Amino acid sequence: MSASSKTETTPVVEEPLITGNQTFHTVTDVVSRIAERKTTVTWLALVGMSASLALVLLGSIGYLVWEGVGIWGLNVPVAWGWAIVNFVFWVGIGHAGTLISAILHLFRQRWRTSINRFAEAMTLFAVICALIFPAIHVGRIWVVYWMLPIPNQMEMWPQFRSPLLWDVFAVSVYFTVSLLFWYVGLIPDLATLRDRAKTKIRKLALGILSLGWRGGNRQWINYERAYLILAGLSTPLVLSVHSVVSTDFAVSMVPGWHTTIFPPYFVAGAIFSGFAMVMTLGIIVRKIFHLEDFITINHLEKMNKIMLLTGMMVGYAYACEFFVAWYSGNVYEAFTFVNRAFGPYAWAYWIMVTCNVLIPQIFWFRRFRRHVTIMFIATIFINIGMWFERFVIVMSLARDFLPSSWDYYSPTIWDILTFIGSFGLFFTLFLLFIRFVPVIAMAEVKAVLPQADPHHGEKH
Amino acid sequence: MKLDTETFRLSERGGFAKKALIAGVIGLVVTVVAWFLDSARFYHAWLTAFAFWISLSLGALFFTMLHHLTGAQWSTVIRRMSESFLAPFPYMAIFFVPIIFGMHDLYHWTHEEAIAHNPILEWKTPYLNQTFFVIRAAIYFAVWIFLSRRLYGFSKAQDEGHSPELLAKMRSTSAWGMVIFALTITFAAFDWLMSMEPMWYSTIFGVYFFSGGLLSAVCLITLTALWLRRRQVLDTAITREHYHDLGKLVFGFIIFWGYIGFSQYMLIWYANIPEETSWYLMRWEGSWKAVSLLMILGYFSIPFLITIFRATKRSLGLLGFMVVWLLLMHWVDMYWLVFPTWSGADGNAHFHWMDLSAVVGIGGIFLWAFWSRYAAGPLVPVRDPKLPQSLSHVNF
Repeated sequence: MSASSKTETTPVVEEPLITGNQTFHTVTDVVSRIAERKTTVTWLALVGMSASLALVLLGSIGYLVWEGVGIWGLNVPVAWGWAIVNFVFWVGIGHAGTLISAILHLFRQRWRTSINRFAEAMTLFAVICALIFPAIHVGRIWVVYWMLPIPNQMEMWPQFRSPLLWDVFAVSVYFTVSLLFWYVGLIPDLATLRDRAKTKIRKLALGILSLGWRGGNRQWINYERAYLILAGLSTPLVLSVHSVVSTDFAVSMVPGWHTTIFPPYFVAGAIFSGFAMVMTLGIIVRKIFHLEDFITINHLEKMNKIMLLTGMMVGYAYACEFFVAWYSGNVYEAFTFVNRAFGPYAWAYWIMVTCNVLIPQIFWFRRFRRHVTIMFIATIFINIGMWFERFVIVMSLARDFLPSSWDYYSPTIWDILTFIGSFGLFFTLFLLFIRFVPVIAMAEVKAVLPQADPHHGEKH
Repeated sequence: MKLDTETFRLSERGGFAKKALIAGVIGLVVTVVAWFLDSARFYHAWLTAFAFWISLSLGALFFTMLHHLTGAQWSTVIRRMSESFLAPFPYMAIFFVPIIFGMHDLYHWTHEEAIAHNPILEWKTPYLNQTFFVIRAAIYFAVWIFLSRRLYGFSKAQDEGHSPELLAKMRSTSAWGMVIFALTITFAAFDWLMSMEPMWYSTIFGVYFFSGGLLSAVCLITLTALWLRRRQVLDTAITREHYHDLGKLVFGFIIFWGYIGFSQYMLIWYANIPEETSWYLMRWEGSWKAVSLLMILGYFSIPFLITIFRATKRSLGLLGFMVVWLLLMHWVDMYWLVFPTWSGADGNAHFHWMDLSAVVGIGGIFLWAFWSRYAAGPLVPVRDPKLPQSLSHVNF
C-alpha cells in the first residue's frame, strides 16, 4: 500500500546519528588511529597514576589477608560494611554496558552503536572490581573456592538456599556472557586493525584474536545471528543479576531490607548508576580523542533521558517504600525509615535523595540535556548518590531490634583505601582498553551511516 | 465492514457497536438481578470484572505514551487502536459507583467494630477511610480521563493538518503523563485490590497490577487487529511484521509479569513472616491451590514456552489463540486477587454465572465505547509522519 495524497505527511527529519560527513574510510581511520598511534606521555602518566592506586588496593588486600576483616570498621550490628556497599555499587555500574548492547539492540535503538563498545568494556571492569569485595570479605580467602559447589571428600556444599551463593552464579554467568558478547562484537574490528597492522607481531596477535575474520557474506550472516542470540541471552541476565543482588538484602527479615519491590528497584538503580558512569567516561573519552562526531550531543541527550527515567523509577521505589513503611503499621519498618531520614545517617540519606532524585530532574529541560558540562557534573553526583543509596540501605543495620546493641559505623583508613584502590584498578583496565582496542564499534557505526542504506542516493 | 484504503476510513462500519451494546446491556441487567440474589458476591464479581477491564485501558494508556516517548515507528499503525481503548475511561468511572456502595462487603477496613479492636487498622484510618477512598478514586479517574482526552485530542488534530508540533506535544504530555500515571495506578492498585486484606502489604503490588494490565492491553490490541484482519480491514497495513513485533512484546511482558509476581512471592515465602504469608496461604488452600497453580502454569510457564518461538509470533492463528488465552488468564488473575477475601468463600474458589455476566456487562460497554471511537475516524493516524515507515515496517 502506498501513501496516497489523502495521507500525505511531512517526513520526520531525524537528527543524524553520526555527524561530520563521515565516510567508511574516515570512520576506520579516526577510530583505529587511537589504538595505533604511539603511546603518549599523557596516557603513560594516567596509567601510572591509576596503577599506583591499584597498588593501594593490592596493598590493602594484602594487609586484610594478613590481619583479618577486623581492620575494617565492622562492628556487631553492622557486620556488613563498606565491602557490600562497594560490591553492589560496582555490580550496579556493570549493568549499563549489557543493557546498551543487548536490550537496546533488541529494541532496534541504532544510536547505541557509538557507545556500546566502551560501555561493555566498562561493564567487564566494573564486575571485576565488584567481585573482589565479597571474595576478600570471606575472612579466610585461601578457601574462597568453597563458595563454588566443587565435589570434595568432605561432602561439604555451599548453602543453596543462600542468596550469597546465587550471587556467585549470577555474577559469574553475567561476567562470562558479557565477555563473550563483547568479544564477538570486537571480531570484525580486530580484523580491521589486523589489516592495518604494520609490524609482524601486531599482525600475528591481531590475526589470532580476530579468528580468521574475512568479512565474507556468510561470516556476516553467522555473526549477526550469533550477536542476536547473545543479545537475547544477555537481556534476562541484565535483570537477573541485580535482582539476585537485591535478594541478598530482601530475603532477610531486617526492616528496610525486606520489601518486595527490591528486585525491580535494584535493577532500575543499577541501570541508572551504570549510565551515569558510562556518561562520565564517555564525555571524557569523547573530548580527549575528539570523537564529537561519533558520540554526538544527540547520543548524550538520549542517555540523559534514560537517566531521567531510571532516576524517577528509583525515586518511585523510595516513595513506595516510605509509604508502605507507614501503611504497614509495622513499628520496626516505620522506625527504620524515619531513622534513615532523621537518624544518625540522615546526612547520607539526604545526599542520596538529592543526587538520585532531585539532580536528575534537570534533565526535563532540553537545554540541560544537551549541555555537556552540566551533564558531566550531574553524572558525577549520580555516581556519588548511588554509592550512598547502598550505604543507606546497609546502614539500616546500625540500629537493629535491640537498642542496647545499636552502634555507628565509621570507616577505617583501610575501608577507604580499599574503595579508592578499586577505582585505580577500574581506571587502569579502562586505560589499557583505550590503548589497545577500538573504543568505538567501527563496523556497527558504518552500518548506521546514510551510505550503508542500500537505497542511499536513489531519487524517489 | 469495509475499509476505504485511500482514507483509512470505514465506509461500512458493520454491526459491532450495536452487538456490543446489546451484550453489555443484557450483561448489566443480568448482573443487577444477581445483586438481589447475593449482594456480597455481586460486589466481588463486579470488582473482578471492573479491575479486569480498567487494567486494559490503563495498559493501553501506558502503551500509547510509550509509543510517543520512544518515538517508535512500527507501532504507528496500531496507535489509533490503542488510543481508542482509552475511550471507556468515563464509563469505567460510572462503573466504579457500585464499588462505593459495596465497600462494606468488599473492604474489611470499613467496619467500625474491626477498627475498634485492631490498633493497626486504627493506625491506617488516615488513609483507609471511606471519604478519602472515594476522593482518591475521583482523582485517579480525573487524571486518566484528562490524560487520555489530551492525547486523543492531539491525535485527532493531527488528522486535520500536517503540524509537526503535535508530535512534540504528544511526546511531552506522555513524559509528565507517565509520572502521574505511575503514581495513580500504584495507589489505585493499593486501594482497590491490596486493601481488601487491610493487614497485608507489599511494595511491589502496584507494579504487579500494572504488569498484568500492560500484557493484557497488548494482547487486546493484537486480538483486535486479528479480528479486523478476518474482515479484510487493515490486513495490508498491519502485516505479519507487526504481529511479530506484537508477539515479541507479548512474550516480553509475560516474562515481566512473571518476574514481578515471582519477586513478590519469593521474598515473602523466604522471609516467612506470618503477616505477609497469610495472603499467599489463603490462596494455597482448598481449591484456591488449583487456581494458584493455574496462574503459574497457565499465565507464565506454558505461554512462555509457546511464545518464545519466532514461528509462534508469526503464525497468526497460534498468536491469536495465545492472546485470547492470556486475556482469560488475566481475568483469572483478577479473580485470584479479589475473591479469596469474600466472606462466603469457605476457603474455596467457586465459579458463579454472575462472574461471567459482570465481565460481559462491563465488557460490552467497554467494547462499544472503544468501537464507537475507533470506527468513527480513520483507523490509523493518517497524517502521522511516521506512518509510511510503519506501513513498510520489516523486522531484521
